[in-house]
Amino acid sequence: MPLLSVLVLTLALGAPLILASMGGYTSERSGVINIGLEGMMMIAACMTAVVGIPLGPVAGLAAALVSATLLSSLHWLVTQKYSVDHVISGMGINAVAAGAASFVFGKFADPKHEGGVPHLSVWIYYVLAIVAPLALWLYTQRARGGLRMVAVGADPEKSRLMGLSPGRIRFVALFATGLFTGLAGALLVSDAAIYTNNITAGRGYIALAALVVGGWRPLPTLMVCLGLGFLGSLQLRFQGTDVLAVIPSQAWASLPYLVTIIALAGFLGKNRTPAGLGKP
Amino acid sequence: MWRLLALLVGGVAILAAAMLISSVSPVEAVKTLILGSLGSRGAIAGTLRETTPLLIAGVAVYLALRAGLFNIGVEGQLLVGAAAATAVALKTSGSAGFMLAAAAGVGAGALWALPAGWIRAYRSGHEVITTIMLNNVAVYFTGWLLANPMKDPQQQSPTTVSIDASTRLPNLYSHPPLIINVAIVVGVTAATLLAIWLKRTIAGFELEAVGANPRAAQFAGIDPKRTMLLAMTSSGAIAGLAGAVQVLAYEGRFYAGFSPGYGFDSLGVALLAGNNALGVLPASLLFGILAKGGTALQIEGVPKGITTVILGFLILLAAAIRYRKVNAVA
Amino acid sequence: MQGISKRFGPVIALEDVDLHVEPNTIHAVVGENGAGKTTLMRALYAAAPADAGTIWLNGEAVHFAVTKDAIRAGIGMVSQHYAIIPELTCLQNLMLGAEGSTLLNLQASRKKAEALASRMGFEFDWSGPASELSPAGAQKLEILKLLWREAKIMILDEPTAMLSPADSDALFASLRVLASEGATVILVTHRLREVIDHCQTVTVLRGGKLVAEKPVAETSASELAHLIVGSEMDGGVPVFTSQVGGPVLEIEGLSVTGERGNVALDGISLTAHSGEILGIAGVDGNGQRELFQAIAGVTPSTGMTEIRGMQASSTAQRLQQGLQIIPEDRHEEGIVAEWSLEDNAALGLQRSAVLKSRGRRRWATEVAGLFGTKYANLSQPMSSLSGGNQQRFVAGRALASHPSLLLAFQPGRGLDIHGTQQVYQRIRDECESGACAIVVSFDLDELLEHCDRIVVLNSGKLLEPPKGQERDRTSIGRLMVGAG
Repeated sequence: MPLLSVLVLTLALGAPLILASMGGYTSERSGVINIGLEGMMMIAACMTAVVGIPLGPVAGLAAALVSATLLSSLHWLVTQKYSVDHVISGMGINAVAAGAASFVFGKFADPKHEGGVPHLSVWIYYVLAIVAPLALWLYTQRARGGLRMVAVGADPEKSRLMGLSPGRIRFVALFATGLFTGLAGALLVSDAAIYTNNITAGRGYIALAALVVGGWRPLPTLMVCLGLGFLGSLQLRFQGTDVLAVIPSQAWASLPYLVTIIALAGFLGKNRTPAGLGKP
Repeated sequence: MWRLLALLVGGVAILAAAMLISSVSPVEAVKTLILGSLGSRGAIAGTLRETTPLLIAGVAVYLALRAGLFNIGVEGQLLVGAAAATAVALKTSGSAGFMLAAAAGVGAGALWALPAGWIRAYRSGHEVITTIMLNNVAVYFTGWLLANPMKDPQQQSPTTVSIDASTRLPNLYSHPPLIINVAIVVGVTAATLLAIWLKRTIAGFELEAVGANPRAAQFAGIDPKRTMLLAMTSSGAIAGLAGAVQVLAYEGRFYAGFSPGYGFDSLGVALLAGNNALGVLPASLLFGILAKGGTALQIEGVPKGITTVILGFLILLAAAIRYRKVNAVA
Repeated sequence: MQGISKRFGPVIALEDVDLHVEPNTIHAVVGENGAGKTTLMRALYAAAPADAGTIWLNGEAVHFAVTKDAIRAGIGMVSQHYAIIPELTCLQNLMLGAEGSTLLNLQASRKKAEALASRMGFEFDWSGPASELSPAGAQKLEILKLLWREAKIMILDEPTAMLSPADSDALFASLRVLASEGATVILVTHRLREVIDHCQTVTVLRGGKLVAEKPVAETSASELAHLIVGSEMDGGVPVFTSQVGGPVLEIEGLSVTGERGNVALDGISLTAHSGEILGIAGVDGNGQRELFQAIAGVTPSTGMTEIRGMQASSTAQRLQQGLQIIPEDRHEEGIVAEWSLEDNAALGLQRSAVLKSRGRRRWATEVAGLFGTKYANLSQPMSSLSGGNQQRFVAGRALASHPSLLLAFQPGRGLDIHGTQQVYQRIRDECESGACAIVVSFDLDELLEHCDRIVVLNSGKLLEPPKGQERDRTSIGRLMVGAG
C-alpha cells in the first residue's frame, strides 16, 4: 500500500512543522518576531530525552513543555521588558538553547543506556497537529483573546488606546508558542525514539518559512506544512530509485527555502506580514 | 539600570550553576579558559586563528547593521565565498592565484546577498527571513558541490583536494608554535577601512543616515532603497572574503562542515562592537578567546555547550544595553 | 480637573490647569496649536497621565493610571488619529477591548451594533474591513465605539478636521442627541464657529495655561479669538511689497496616487516665482501632504516638475538645484534623533558646497544660531533638545544655506508666536533677495498673515480664489470646504 505509507509519512514529516509553525503563529500574530523557534524545539527535544529516559514518557513530555515555555518566556521578557530588538533576542535564545542542549545532553545522557527514549504514541501529536490550526483559526475568529491577539499584532499603539495591554496579551501568545514548540520538540524525539545532536536540523526555520508562505494564517500554513511533508515523503519513498535521480536531493531539500524567498518577494500574492510585527 | 543588573545576575547564576553541575569550580574554569586561549604561544596562535574569520565576518555584519539591516546570511555568504575561492584556487597558482580566488569569494558572497538586499529594499520582505532561507540553500548548494563536481575522488568524506601551497596566503610570522598569518592583517585592515569610510566619507554618512532614520534620509536626498541594496551586497562581499581568506590562509580546502557557525558568532561580534567599526576588533578577539578557551574547557570535562550559552547571554546583555528601542513619546 | 500639570522633558506642556465640565453639555476646549488642549485630554484619558493635579468625577477624586481605568470610569476619547485598526473588520474594531464575554457572540454583537448605528442614523457594512472606511465613516465608527462602551464622558479631539461641512453638521446633530440623552461631550477644536454654534461652555488655553472658562452665551467669536491669541492682532491684512520675479518652480499636470490607490493629486499645475511666498491652504487630507512630498521628490508622481527651468528628478538633484525643506514631521523626516547636532546640521547638505566651504562645526554653529536654538554643545544628541528647539534647528538648517526654493510645512510648528514670526521674517528676507517659498499649512490665518498668494487644495485639485478676492478669508474658506 504505497499510497497509505506516503500519507502516513507526509503526516509524520509535516506534524512537527505544523506544531512549530503554530507556535510561530501565536507569537508573530501578536507582534513578536520569533526566529527562536529552532532553539525552543531543540531544548524541548533534549529535555524529552534527558528527563524521559529515567522518569518515563509523561515526565519527558512535561519537561519538554516546561523548558520550551521557559525559553519562550525569556524571549518575552527580553523583547517586552528590556525592549531588545526581537531578532537579536531570537538569535540569543537560539544560542542559549543550542548551548544548553549540548551541555545538558553531554552531562546527563547515559552513554550506556540501551534502547530508545520512552515516548507516548506519535498519533497523539499528529492529531494535535491537525486540530491546532483549526482551533487557532476559530480562536481568532470567535474568542475575545484571539481578537485581541490579532489587534495587538496589527497595531500595538492603537490597541493600547483601546485599553488593551499588549505586554500581557503577548505573554499569553508566547506562552502558547512555548507549548507548541515544546510539543514539536517532543514529537521529533518520539518519532525517532532517539535523541541526537542537532535533531531539529533547521526545522524551526522551515516552520517559520511555512508561516511566511502561508501568509501568517493558520489553515494555509497547515497546508504548506503538509505540502512540505508530502515532498519529503516522496523523496524518502523514491530514494535510490531512478524516479528522482535526475534531481539532486539537495535541490529537493532547498525547495521550501526557495519558495519562501519567492513568497517574501511578493510573487505569491500580497505581502501579509502583520503590521505591528516588532513594534513595542 | 536595575533591570540590566537583574539580567546580568541571572546570567551569571545560570553559568555558575552549570559549572557546579560539571563539578568544576568557576575560578578554575575561568583560569582554564584564559590559559587555554592566551597562556602559551601555541594558544595565542590558535586564538588568532579563531579570531580571523569572526573579525572579517563581523565587519560584514557591522556594515549591514549600520544601514539598519540584520545580515543573518553571513553564514551562507561565507560558505559560497569559500567554495568559489577554492574552485578558483584549484585552477590557479601563485600570488595571482590567491588574488583571483579572493575576488571569486567576494563576488560569490555579494551575489548570495543580492536577493536578500533586493527583496528588502524593493519588495519590503524582511531580510532576516530571506537570509535565513538563503543560508539553508547555501548549505545544500555547497553540499551538492562537494558531493559532485568539487569532490576529491580519493576521499570518503565530502571535501575538495587541497590547494597548491603557492596559492595560500603567506605567514607573517612563523616560529612554531606561534604562527601568524597575513589573514589577521586583512581583517584589521577591513575594520579600519570601514571605520574611516563610515566616519569620513559622504557615502558613509549617507549609509548611517539610512540606518538611523530612513525617512529623514530620503528627505535629505538619499535613496534608502539603493543604499540598503548596496549595503547588503557589500556586506555579502565581505562575508565572501571571510570565507575565501579562511580557505587561502588556514584550511587550504573546502569541506562539509566548513563553518562551525561563523555567521552566527559574527552577528554577536557586530552587536558587541558598539558605535565604532573598530569595536569589531576587541569583540572578535573576545569571541576568539571564548572559542579557543572553550576547547580547553572541554578537555577539562566541561561540555563545549557552555561557551555557546555564554555567547547567547552576552548577545542578550549587549543588546539590552545598546540596542534598546526608544519608546517614542507622543 | 484641578491643577493639572504635565512636563515633557524640559518643556512645560500644562501648568496648573483647571477644567470644569457640567453633565449633559457640549463643552469646548479651544486654543492655538500647542496650547495644551490635546495634552489635557490625554491626561484625562490617562493616555499620558498628568504629573500633578486631581481629577474629580461626579464629586469624587479619581486616579487613572492607565487608559483602561479611564474607560472603566465611563470616559471615552476619539483622538485626531483614529484608533481604528485597518486589518480588522468594522465589527471587530467596534468590539475590541469591550467584547463582553470570553467567547464572542457574533450574532448578538452584530444586532447590538446595528441598533446603535440606526439610533445615530449611521449605516455600516459590519463584516467589511475597516481599511475601506472613509474619514467620515471612521469618525462615525469611533463615535459608535464610545457608545458601545457606554461612555458617559466623550472626548473628541478635532473631530471635524477631516470632515466635509455636511458631515460636520451631521456629526454635531448626533452629538446634540447624545448630550440630550445623558452624555457629556468635551470637544477640542480650533474652529470658533463650532464653539459658538454648538457648545454650551468653553475653556480657553494658551501656552499651557488656563485663560478663561465661560458659558458660550456670554461670549463672542471675536472675544474668544482675542483670548486665544493673547495680544491684539495688528489688524488688517499686511501689505507686501516684494517684487515678483521669474518662475522658480513650475509644475504641469502633476498627479499622485495615494497609499490606498486613490487619486491623491489630480493633474495639478502650479507656478511659483522668485520673490513670492506661496501659501497652500486646505483642510487636512486633501492632498497637501502628497503635493509637498511630490515637490520634495520623495514620492513618485507623474507630470512635469521644473526647478529654475531644469527638469527635476531625484531629491538629491533637487537639493542641488537649491531646494531646501522644512518637513511636516520633524522627528520622522527632519532629524536623526540619536545623532549629534553637528551631524544633523549636515543632513541634506552632505553633498552641498556650503559644508565644504565652512566645515561642519562652523556650519552647525550657524544653523543653531539662526533662530536661537538652545543647546549646550554641538556634540549632544538631537534627542536631548525640546521639540521647539529641534524645530528652530531644522528651520535654521533650511534657511541658513540661502535656498532658491524653500518648501515648508507649517514652519512654525511647536514654536511660540515670537519664534514663528522670526522664522517667517527670515523666509520673507530670503524671498526679497530672490528666493521662492512654498508654505503648506492647515491654518488659513497663518497663511493670510504671511503669504503673498494663496491657492487651495480640495480633494486633490488645485483651486485659485476668484479675481478681486485673492486674500478674502471667506471665499478662500469656501474653496477649502469645496463650496466655492
